[in-house]
Amino acid sequence: MLKIRNLQAGYGKLKVLKNISMHVAEGEIVTIIGANGAGKTTLLSTICGLLKATSGEVLFEDRDICVLAPQKIPALGCVMVPEGRQIFAALSVEENLILGGHVLKKRGKKLLKQQLDDQYELFPILKERREQYAGTLSGGEQQMLAMGRALMSQPSLIMMDEPSTGLAPLIVQAIFKVIVKMRDEGKTVLLVEQNAKAALQVADRGYVLETGKVVLQGKSHELLEDVEVKRAYLGKDYGEFYDGKA
Amino acid sequence: MTEKPDGNVCIPEERGQFVLERLQSTLNRAYRNVPFHQQRFQRKGIDPSEIQSLRDVQRLPFTTRKHLSENYPYGLFAVPLRDIVRIHTAPGTRSNPTVSGYTRQDLQIWENMVATALQSSGVTPDDILQISLDPGLDTWGRDYQSGAESLGASVIPNTLLSIEKQLMVMRDYKPSALVTTPSYAYQLATHLETKGVHPEDFNLKKLILVGEPADPAQRDLLEAKLHVRTSQHFGLSEVPGPALAYECENRSCLHVNDDHFLPEIIDPSTNESLPAGEVGELVLTTLTTRAFPLIRFRTGDMARILAEACDCDCRLVRIEWRPERNDRLIRIRGVKVHRQQILAGIETALGMTPQQYCLFENRYRGKTYLEIWIAVDDSLFSDEIKMLEDRMKTVRDQVQEDTGVPVIVRLKESASIIACKFV
Repeated sequence: MLKIRNLQAGYGKLKVLKNISMHVAEGEIVTIIGANGAGKTTLLSTICGLLKATSGEVLFEDRDICVLAPQKIPALGCVMVPEGRQIFAALSVEENLILGGHVLKKRGKKLLKQQLDDQYELFPILKERREQYAGTLSGGEQQMLAMGRALMSQPSLIMMDEPSTGLAPLIVQAIFKVIVKMRDEGKTVLLVEQNAKAALQVADRGYVLETGKVVLQGKSHELLEDVEVKRAYLGKDYGEFYDGKA
Repeated sequence: MTEKPDGNVCIPEERGQFVLERLQSTLNRAYRNVPFHQQRFQRKGIDPSEIQSLRDVQRLPFTTRKHLSENYPYGLFAVPLRDIVRIHTAPGTRSNPTVSGYTRQDLQIWENMVATALQSSGVTPDDILQISLDPGLDTWGRDYQSGAESLGASVIPNTLLSIEKQLMVMRDYKPSALVTTPSYAYQLATHLETKGVHPEDFNLKKLILVGEPADPAQRDLLEAKLHVRTSQHFGLSEVPGPALAYECENRSCLHVNDDHFLPEIIDPSTNESLPAGEVGELVLTTLTTRAFPLIRFRTGDMARILAEACDCDCRLVRIEWRPERNDRLIRIRGVKVHRQQILAGIETALGMTPQQYCLFENRYRGKTYLEIWIAVDDSLFSDEIKMLEDRMKTVRDQVQEDTGVPVIVRLKESASIIACKFV
């Protein structure tokens, strides 16, 4: 579904992504884990066109989306839930959702209504708060709204940037349950997370990013068991990691 | 495209993506963690991020057995020692042996690979599989054992047995599959004949030949004499291990497990890559190995890549393994022995370097030996036969101990050695 080859991108002279190759197959949850500054968000921003790639290609369903303007990409079925939610605080919950469905506008109100109902079914709390200003929602609710907004356009691939940031563990659990549910309902998910353990527990496969390079990839359960991943990203004897080989 | 262990991603284009991803992360790790690789990349002015296709691998420097010896013992490890769960030692090309390490995951991958190769040879959980390899291939013995056990077969592990004991095991324990070298299988077949034992007294059905390529005539002979079906596996005795290529049901070629290894064929004289169909040296790059990544390792084995697809479902790269070698190694009973190493053994035993000598593989009563001819000159000569015999025995014991293969030493006149084609 998504195929990335030799992607390089950065900010001005600063090269951030150094030759990233990866893929996401239909119906998979794939996670990208890595420390702060590894290039995870830059990678997502480049995929969704917010940042121009300096070289390489991003193929979404065999179409190079690097050459497209960012606003054209969601209509193809590839959407992003940005880090920090970035909902429209001064609009109501429902207005936020409707904005997410703007690409469906031409296909009639009936479909839009159906999509709204689907999101309310997936996130019942949003239905309760439909009239409320989005800015008044709690962190977890805002995250749900951001996810619902992304799902409104009926995407086949949904990319999520750090959905667990700033949320209480119980809420994180709920959010990750929804991610699994989305996969089970046929969506494909690319999940960028600092919370490596939570991400690997729900994902099918993972890539480990380090200073803009993929240093490891594999099935999630293998990465969870990997001593290097445990040390560097799952908080196991981190201090010992750099004290030499012997 | 999903990632399956030892599975086949069949669509070539998608397979290319899958292999490229593994190659790039291997290079990134090797560059970051192994100073040897980093320095050699830098010397060639290459950064791993410049490797953007499988063809680009041709720009990378080679790794040879000499490098393995020079970085003895842990210089090429790419993970901290505490992550290593097994350390293998194999005879090196010089005085230093070759040391390789495996993480728990490496062993797991290896186990799956060996199990896949055994399965392709028809081994099932119902089989009793015996492993019979020379001490020089001890490490393979362990790998075959874990692979077969993970498959659920009953395993008789590798133990050094006399040929008589071997017959007893085959008669009484009734192994249905045997992993061994063509040399040993031949010795076994000859011994059966000598003893007048009929192969039907055994239950042996599958003979898995490892360590050296067996030509069709040899295989026909073994199949006729032992009443078995043979299949062939290819591996490297130093690193990383056995069964990295294996025959499928069709037995027409070897399939390289390119989920885990990227094969290339190069022209040894120009070091340039050769297209499919041309015979050259087999060069391997590991794709999943964590502890001991090898980048463009020159195996010394000669092979050619077969372009046509196999009739079987498997889409792994096909190769034909050729008997010749492109290095100074002699293959004795599947064990690769370097001339330099043998000479070092002779020197230790004699306390001097022989002026003239020759080394070759030879067979007596079905058993394969490393034969060493040494020219008798003034420095060696003694009028006491016993003294001469003692010296030859010391040489034999020393080389046998160093290499783990059976040795015969003969004293010859200088003229015979000059005439010997193996000098």
